[in-house]
Amino acid sequence: MFNRNILLARANVRKAKGQTAAIVVLVLLSSMMMNIWLMLSMDYRKNFDRCHDRLNDGHVNLAAYVVGDDFKDFISDTLDERDDVTDYTVSSAFCAPFSYEYNGGELSQLGVILKKEDALFRNVGRFEITEESDIKSGIYLPMLYGMGNNYAAGDTLKITILGEEFEYAICGFFNSAMVGSHNCNMMSFLMTEDKFEEFSEETAALKSAYVSVRIKDVSRCEDISAELKDTISKEFPEVVVTGNDYKMVSTSRYISQMICAGILSVMAFLVLLIGVVVISSNIANYIQENMQNLGALKAVGYTGGQLIAALIMQFSGISAIAAAAGIAVSYCVFPGVNEMMIAQTGIPYTVRLQPLPIVFTVIFITGVVSAAVYFSAKRIKKIEPITAMRQGIATHNFKKNHVQLEKTSLPLNAALAMKTMFGGLKQNVTVCVTMLVISLILVFSVTSARNTIVDIKPMIEMIAGEFADSAINVNLGREDELVSVLEEDSRVEKFYLFTNNSMEIQHVGGTTLYVSVVDDCSKMNNQSMAVEGRYPKYGNEFALAAKYAKENGIKIGDEVSLKVGNSQEKYIVSGFTQCSNSLGKDCIMIREGYEKLSALLNVTYYIDLAEGTDIDGFNSDISDIFGSDVNAAQNVLSIIESTGGVYVMLMTFLVIAIVIISCIVIIFVMYLLVRTMLNNKKRDYGILKALGFTTGQLIMQTAMSFMPSIIISSAVGIAVSMRILNPLMAVFLSGIGVVKGTFIIPAELCVIAGIALVIFAFGAACLMSLRIRKIAPRELLSGE
Amino acid sequence: MKNTLIKTERLSKSFSSGGAMQHVLKNIDLELYKGDFTVIMGASGAGKSTLLYALSGMDTPTLGKITFGERVISDLDSDGLALFRKEHCGFVFQQIYLIDTMSILDNVLAAGLLVNKDKKALAARARELFKAVDIPEETIHKFPTQISGGEAQRAGIVRALINSPEILFADEPTGALNSKSGLDVLDTLTEFNEQGQSVVMVTHDMRSARRGNRILYIKDGVVMGECDLGKYAPNDEERHKKLSDFLTKMGW
Repeated sequence: MFNRNILLARANVRKAKGQTAAIVVLVLLSSMMMNIWLMLSMDYRKNFDRCHDRLNDGHVNLAAYVVGDDFKDFISDTLDERDDVTDYTVSSAFCAPFSYEYNGGELSQLGVILKKEDALFRNVGRFEITEESDIKSGIYLPMLYGMGNNYAAGDTLKITILGEEFEYAICGFFNSAMVGSHNCNMMSFLMTEDKFEEFSEETAALKSAYVSVRIKDVSRCEDISAELKDTISKEFPEVVVTGNDYKMVSTSRYISQMICAGILSVMAFLVLLIGVVVISSNIANYIQENMQNLGALKAVGYTGGQLIAALIMQFSGISAIAAAAGIAVSYCVFPGVNEMMIAQTGIPYTVRLQPLPIVFTVIFITGVVSAAVYFSAKRIKKIEPITAMRQGIATHNFKKNHVQLEKTSLPLNAALAMKTMFGGLKQNVTVCVTMLVISLILVFSVTSARNTIVDIKPMIEMIAGEFADSAINVNLGREDELVSVLEEDSRVEKFYLFTNNSMEIQHVGGTTLYVSVVDDCSKMNNQSMAVEGRYPKYGNEFALAAKYAKENGIKIGDEVSLKVGNSQEKYIVSGFTQCSNSLGKDCIMIREGYEKLSALLNVTYYIDLAEGTDIDGFNSDISDIFGSDVNAAQNVLSIIESTGGVYVMLMTFLVIAIVIISCIVIIFVMYLLVRTMLNNKKRDYGILKALGFTTGQLIMQTAMSFMPSIIISSAVGIAVSMRILNPLMAVFLSGIGVVKGTFIIPAELCVIAGIALVIFAFGAACLMSLRIRKIAPRELLSGE
Repeated sequence: MKNTLIKTERLSKSFSSGGAMQHVLKNIDLELYKGDFTVIMGASGAGKSTLLYALSGMDTPTLGKITFGERVISDLDSDGLALFRKEHCGFVFQQIYLIDTMSILDNVLAAGLLVNKDKKALAARARELFKAVDIPEETIHKFPTQISGGEAQRAGIVRALINSPEILFADEPTGALNSKSGLDVLDTLTEFNEQGQSVVMVTHDMRSARRGNRILYIKDGVVMGECDLGKYAPNDEERHKKLSDFLTKMGW
């Protein structure tokens, strides 16, 4: 019986090679994306854990700067006393905000400088050298910076630390799980012993400690980090402590992986959905075309179940083979995807065979296809052999003669096309599902291109918070002078206090929040960061990260206790903000409010400059005026370009891939639909040709018959997608603190893209209809 | 003096079959005249349908020339032939070939609107023709599967005549019908021919062939002979005898 089913399945495949090929392509694309998604979601993320374990890195890392000699003893004693700490290492370091060139722009980051010789042998939080040159004196950079066109061993790194410029030869690159990327809240450099000593003499004020702590329960890493910071600030109120934890770093180093995996998963399911709709439509046509054969097979003893089993075998077999091919293709594509991912994660990943994603992909796709085949073919059971053999089941609806030629005002070819359209329900459903899905994908692509590739500011606004042209940080004592200089400088259009140098504040009963201190929130460029309520106006208010508020059940208007060191105050939540910099653990206060808790040590002013102003030149002028009192003079636009470059590259790749995949899907779906139509209506085409319709007219009729469904579903798809895209983005990016999508939806571009989609689909339909040329009217005439 | 409508010169048609060339029509020189009811007869495989394809522009000859009036049609491409068929020819098929998803009226109008854009005039002409072939108004709004084979074939004749073609080609038009319906169809064709419509019909059936005024007999791709029945009245016994003698002579 099994052999009989195989024979039937083989016969079916042979009869419909084209349809089989098209289904293979759709399943192949889906399985390729599904396997990459699973590899990224399962093993890729685990790669961080493998790296973290290999380097025995800390779950909580603290950088305490400006510390005295007694700090090390204190922190050691504190950690020894805690039952939840399993191991730790405390190293001497230098901590300060550094800025340096990266990805064609300037990057500013809290940096931790360690002595290479110590770093490689730390018990907890070990560093590993990934590339080494012959240069024996200089600096080692995270391996992230050795990728692309950034730095190479032997290059010179120009680094600005607290306004002073240093130059070091790059000896090589290293890997570190917790401080090996600018996505870790703080980043490390390693110096050779001689350079470390030299730097120590020059910048004694930056003497700090870098503490890596391993804990028993990793899920408590945020709490323990907050408790340790609190303990330190109580004992050493003058010590500034910052740091990161396992949850933060493992998430933030994998943002691009998360975005890419999310998009691929959606694409995989959508393409599979199209494939399933196409298969269902195909089976319905198969039953219609083969009614008499099915009747004959039943008459000779096949049961309905056997005939359905043969179809399931046929389609699940094709799907399993196509899924396997898709998985093979995914392994060819994955090294390229891996390269892009590493450019953001900064953690090397070796591509290897992963059985679990393979098994899941094959079983899931085959299972879904089998289920779809079963439900589509169920009606075979109801076919009576005699009825089927005599005439088949009537498939035309004769109740209504749509588009009567006598009455319609449509031109003949359009009217005939509309008749065809009204006669093809399955065709319309397939077209509608395909175009709705492709519309959503298209709107996503266009919107992503608009908000990242063309202009990255909207993306920065949504996930990275406030921005300006320049950011100048000076010591508090020179603030008034800086304000005067800015007021008098004709290049300055607007400036406002926006200090957020990794300053932390403790939510009493909660965790540590990063705080941005602003003098006047109405001056901020990114007003859309306040996603609900408003920015704070008064000293007793603050705006809280929406994600954190939601997780902790805090509402607008609630009173929340905050503290810095030993000072504690109550504040009213004026609104919710979103920003992924701290993965949704941040807040905004006005200066008056923050100063109730602690004085500012230095101030950062965000400055907007007149169009065309040389930002670096402006920063340089300010640095010249204030000398060593300038802690940082950042070209914010340049920072956005350098850090955003990776995302732009990723989105460019994804958008191109999505557009190509969409085109392939449209072509193959149109191929299947047109081919099915030509098979079903071959006789009608012959008749029309005999009557004098030209091939061109029939091609137009065929393509036009799809157009109403294409146009309506594309228009609906584009309109709906434009409305749901931002909420969808919020769902996708909720893990990094985004609760409200604020992408600019480029309506005109979406409409143009929609029109292009319709034209492309029409073109594909015309192209696929070229087979009409082969239909000869003479085939209608009787034989001799 | 009869006016020549179609003229063939050394018309040949060959097909490749299993690597060998099969010569179905061989150097046929033929003239078809305006107003004639020409019947092409012959045994199965003689080449009569192939000749009909070539004469009607459904197919192109391998060699030779076909002239329709003053126009050479043997050189036209498929679209050129489609335009030629649309403007000059009408077709009646053995299997009728109405489009099942269109009403009878729409089947006719679909052909008519290719040539005549005046819908009102076209619909009026269609109704006139339907009346002439005895198809009532209520039937023309039905679908092909809802009417009898005879009605469908008469509707096929209306479709073939909607554009007032210069020549009507009929390929075994009674082949799929019962004898009563077949007779009705032949009566209809004869009636239109008597009104001046040129008809070329392929048939196996001697009863059908009697309706023609000119009988061509084709064998092995060659027109072996022809018989002129023009001077006999339709029901004249002599007409039947002459045709019978001719076919006997041809080896029928």
